[in-house]
Amino acid sequence: MNGRPEPADAELVLAVVAHDDRKAFTRLVRRHESMVRSVLRRLSRGDHGLADDLAQETFLLAWRNLRAFRFDARFSTWLYRIAFNAWLSDARKRREVLLDDEAQAPVPEEPGRAVSAAERIDLERALGCLSDGERAAIAACYYADLTHEEAAEAIGIPLGTVKSHILRAKAKLRAKLAEDSR
Amino acid sequence: MKDLFQDPIERLLREDARRPILDDGFALRVAVALPPARAARMWLKPALVLSSSLAGSLLAWLLAPAGVSLTQGFLDIARLQSQTPSALAALGMALAMAVIAAVLVADES
Repeated sequence: MNGRPEPADAELVLAVVAHDDRKAFTRLVRRHESMVRSVLRRLSRGDHGLADDLAQETFLLAWRNLRAFRFDARFSTWLYRIAFNAWLSDARKRREVLLDDEAQAPVPEEPGRAVSAAERIDLERALGCLSDGERAAIAACYYADLTHEEAAEAIGIPLGTVKSHILRAKAKLRAKLAEDSR
Repeated sequence: MKDLFQDPIERLLREDARRPILDDGFALRVAVALPPARAARMWLKPALVLSSSLAGSLLAWLLAPAGVSLTQGFLDIARLQSQTPSALAALGMALAMAVIAAVLVADES
């Protein structure tokens, strides 16, 4: 067994920038691809082909712009921003994308509903029922593991909107669960 | 405060987010799609510029006997007398500069 610790993201980034080290970049890709691809699958409403195309574009953009990475944020946060912008610009080619759509009617909570069937529901399909803003907030805070503040900055919406998107999205998912379990 | 992890939706989302996606050749596809190695081009440009400069200078030196003047050469060319030793030296130098310019333009594009 190799006793050498895994190099940190920052070390790998420096190796890529200083020595054009492709192996180091591939290690970064392997380390973060699951997060980037799952975020993009959620944003793309479960379209895995589109998500993987956008994930590849994300890593190629990261490669080109790696010198601009300032180490003031986590590398994963920086990657999430690139992935989100890649998705946003692709989605905007086809339709209007509303990330700040707070004017929706609140979804009623269903406290006490049994959600033991949660594992059985198709979460991907349920997430597809959310609005763009709600999916973006869920993808950022759960799949990219960003704080609400980081998510607000990355998505470009106010912190309060992120919080209300998360609450509303979870309420919608809970309602969907209850509906499916009936 | 409500324990977030008791919330089934919270738990479901966190479990789904933790589920890894198999690489399935993805990292290799990214590696193949990367632009050509910078190292391969780093030596190419100076080598091309240097070799073409040397070739142009050698050509000018071979065509121009000792004592030629580039100024006189350009004056000769201006008077349409391009067969004089000075004019040939000037033409050789101009050719070398043109080659260098072409190499630099090709590298930029």
